[in-house]
Amino acid sequence: MRDLVLLLPELVLAGTALVLILTARHLTRPRSVAACVVVAAMAAIFSGWAFSPEASRIGFGGTIASDGYARFFDVLFAATLALAALLSVRYLETERVPPAEYYALLLLASTGMMLAASAADLLILYLGLELMILCAYVLVGIAVNRPISNEAALKYFLLGSFASALLLYGIALVYGVTGATDFAAISSAIAERNLAGHPLMLAGVALMAGGLAFKIAAVPFHAWAPDVYQGASAPVAAFLAAGSKAASLAALVRVCLSAFGPEQRIWSEILVGLAVLSMVVGSLLAIPQSNMKRLLAYSSIAHVGYALLGLIPGTPEGASATITYAFIYSFMTLGAFGVVIGLGERGEDLVAYRGLAATAPGTAALMFLFLLSLTGIPPTAGFAAKFAVILSAVRAGHVSLAVVAVLCSVVSAFFYLRVAVLMYMTDPQGAAPGRLPAAVSAALAVAAAVIIIGGLFPDTFAAWTVPPSSRTMHTETGKALIGGH
Amino acid sequence: MVTTFPVLTVMTALPLAGAAVILLLGDRLARWIALATTLIVCAVSVPLYLDFDKSSGALQFVESVPWIRSWNVVYGMGVDGISLPFVFLSTVISVLCVGASWTAVQVRVREFYAALLFAETAMIGLFAATNLFLFYVFWELMLVPVFLLIGVWGGPDRIYASIKFLLFTLGGSVLMLVGLIALLVATGTLDFQALAKTRLAPDLQAWLFVAFSAAFAVKVPMFPVHTWLPDAHTEAPTAGSVILAGILLKMGGYGLLRIALPILPDAVQLFHRPMLLLSAIAIVYGAYVTLAQTDVKRLIAYSSISHMGFVTLGIFTLNRSGVEGAILQMINHGIVTGALFLCVGMIYERTHTRDIAEYGGLSKLAPVYSTFLAVFCLAAAGFPGLNSFVGEFLIISGAFKTWLWLGAATIWGVALGTTYMLWLYYRMVMGDARPRFQQLRLDLNAREVATLVPLAVLALVIGLYPESVLGFLRTSVGQLLMSASGSGVIAGRP
Repeated sequence: MRDLVLLLPELVLAGTALVLILTARHLTRPRSVAACVVVAAMAAIFSGWAFSPEASRIGFGGTIASDGYARFFDVLFAATLALAALLSVRYLETERVPPAEYYALLLLASTGMMLAASAADLLILYLGLELMILCAYVLVGIAVNRPISNEAALKYFLLGSFASALLLYGIALVYGVTGATDFAAISSAIAERNLAGHPLMLAGVALMAGGLAFKIAAVPFHAWAPDVYQGASAPVAAFLAAGSKAASLAALVRVCLSAFGPEQRIWSEILVGLAVLSMVVGSLLAIPQSNMKRLLAYSSIAHVGYALLGLIPGTPEGASATITYAFIYSFMTLGAFGVVIGLGERGEDLVAYRGLAATAPGTAALMFLFLLSLTGIPPTAGFAAKFAVILSAVRAGHVSLAVVAVLCSVVSAFFYLRVAVLMYMTDPQGAAPGRLPAAVSAALAVAAAVIIIGGLFPDTFAAWTVPPSSRTMHTETGKALIGGH
Repeated sequence: MVTTFPVLTVMTALPLAGAAVILLLGDRLARWIALATTLIVCAVSVPLYLDFDKSSGALQFVESVPWIRSWNVVYGMGVDGISLPFVFLSTVISVLCVGASWTAVQVRVREFYAALLFAETAMIGLFAATNLFLFYVFWELMLVPVFLLIGVWGGPDRIYASIKFLLFTLGGSVLMLVGLIALLVATGTLDFQALAKTRLAPDLQAWLFVAFSAAFAVKVPMFPVHTWLPDAHTEAPTAGSVILAGILLKMGGYGLLRIALPILPDAVQLFHRPMLLLSAIAIVYGAYVTLAQTDVKRLIAYSSISHMGFVTLGIFTLNRSGVEGAILQMINHGIVTGALFLCVGMIYERTHTRDIAEYGGLSKLAPVYSTFLAVFCLAAAGFPGLNSFVGEFLIISGAFKTWLWLGAATIWGVALGTTYMLWLYYRMVMGDARPRFQQLRLDLNAREVATLVPLAVLALVIGLYPESVLGFLRTSVGQLLMSASGSGVIAGRP
């Protein structure tokens, strides 16, 4: 019973989702349901901070970790949930999607993300990610009358289940070698029985890396992302780009550090490949895009490459740089998608951005801010985040990786600022966009505030971005194993 | 010289505040608020020059507040004899840019002045920063307003020029970012003074030099990476060209002085000959390309490449007269080329052509204008009694001290410089008045005269009494050369 407190944020969200589903027939106004979801997200944040034990703890027989890392991601996922809820309102109104179901799926997906981030066991990790991605499949295809959405959902589902199978197969192999699914037990089993070079172990790690790489959309497991982002409605795409990516990164970071700490050499080599390919391919393929959602999809692929830079050295500082990156990236991309949503139907097409600075100066200025942050120009949070991950890469001696990263960010400047060029340096085409809906404005204001504060005072989030510590992760079994060692 | 009033921070923050006010209040008051803000910044800066202790090479008016603990970065501001003239130049140029844009900018007025003031913040902040992190922040920050100034208010090819400008400079500066991070990893600090005291391993220094000079060389611009400059200068609106020529190019030279020389002395010894060679190429090649230009603005842009070649050459002679001359010449180039761009802008507003062949006989139609143009053309050509003469003289004597042929190249450059400036003047001002200009009111109005007079006065004052700038430099340059030759190799004597 005492352990239930550890899951309070997840329970709040899941409970709200159940209530929404049960009362779905009576909930027809997206606005009020969104308000409900925002309140639930706030409650989740509050419960996470107020009732969780100060010290890190492991509950539910060593399967759920409640540490600073999990709490940090609880906050991030609740925040992305709240912002995505706000951004969805108008879409639900125009597309006549049943709001209760939609928001229930968002809530359940966020629950899955939180579970994945606080998992201390491979099975819980898998369950969390599956809960998230199953909801995501439905969310992508929720506009049943749109062929492009259906196609995207199907594509996502087929590729996604293949990736889940990879992940599960990897988990099975690791279990077969170590006899455990518990992170701490795996880690000590590897160290103790000298399994680091065991061929099945390597295969397991590689398969798991592949499965997780799909979920974070790292090259060469990225092909789904542009189609899915384009096919999904903009709010869902924003939610996927911010939340699901951060959740999978959270899982990846924890698995790498807590479970496979002794295998660091192996996975960091895999991650170097993934990071370089993601940065280069993501940046280059974003250049020819003429659809804003596809452009942001390729940008998200490139950004995952930057985020991985922090994880490669396997140090706690590097890990916290990576999760800071995930945090800040979530707000940047939510902001950029928010502008796309705010522009309505036309927002997807790059043409809609022509002369935006003349017709809607406020929106254009916000977009410019998000683009600068995505490019990594100081003093935005995007720069601080990029600085931190590159710093940890250089610290570990990966100077060439750092050079690749900064050169890719020059390439990315080209396509981000092309949007800025359209907004500021060309004449408007077509009718001026309407005013931003209040909900979208609120979401954009939050994102902009995070980006400015995070850029001017990069230390602001430093206290929260704690890496998962393998030391505090030891469960009773883990302790016994360590003791036996 | 301890002062409790954070004058440098106030100077940096004021334009930003002015920009915010302008954005809130709208187009009607934008010009006046911009003018008031830039003038107030000038007024606030007066104590800097009065209270500056010329006999000390240390940083003065220092402010230091902890900022980012995780990276050991402080918010540090301060000036020494090297940065002070640049701060002065930034404040003056900003006022003149407002004056020059008074009637030229008619669209998006409020955004224009906001961008201008934003740029002023970045300029002052850059020259006042006492650590590399803050320097980098302002360095990158400067890109944004200049990118917008070129791209929004520029000429027909503005978009191409602005993107080219941005990609070139960003490409250079991200390498500086890697260098910066490598420095932080190697030494644990980014403070300029602390770094200057640290001796890094020669290999590391060489790599860092490559990374940093990539950023600085693009900005200066040095010979092979100069191609963004003619496009950017030509397409930019007058104020943009003035900021580019007056301040932005100086940021590269300032970076070399602030970072390369004191922090990477061994690498400078290693690389100074290739850098001298590139500078000499820039001087001579730039001058020949300038001679071939038919567009006034492009001509002045290319002349900048040649003139900035003198600056980098002076810096890498690594002797006192060369370095002092380089700093003085940066100030001079800011004044004179800024003034020339202003002159071009003023006449372009009336004639709407930049083709030199269409001009002629301006002396009869616009006598006041022709007088100012004469002063600035002569100054650019290095006429004795005007400012550039002193700077070029110092650099040339520094060059002769280094290598004979280097001196010969500079002399050649000066001769070519005189040729293209006077030929430009001849083609525009002498001869018969063009009939199509007859009915235009070509001569300057009071506002334009007021914009040009300060620069003409500065050119004369520095020309007649160079000590007014050199006095500030002397101690700091001495200290700089001490740390640059700290490796035991005698500076400047190969």
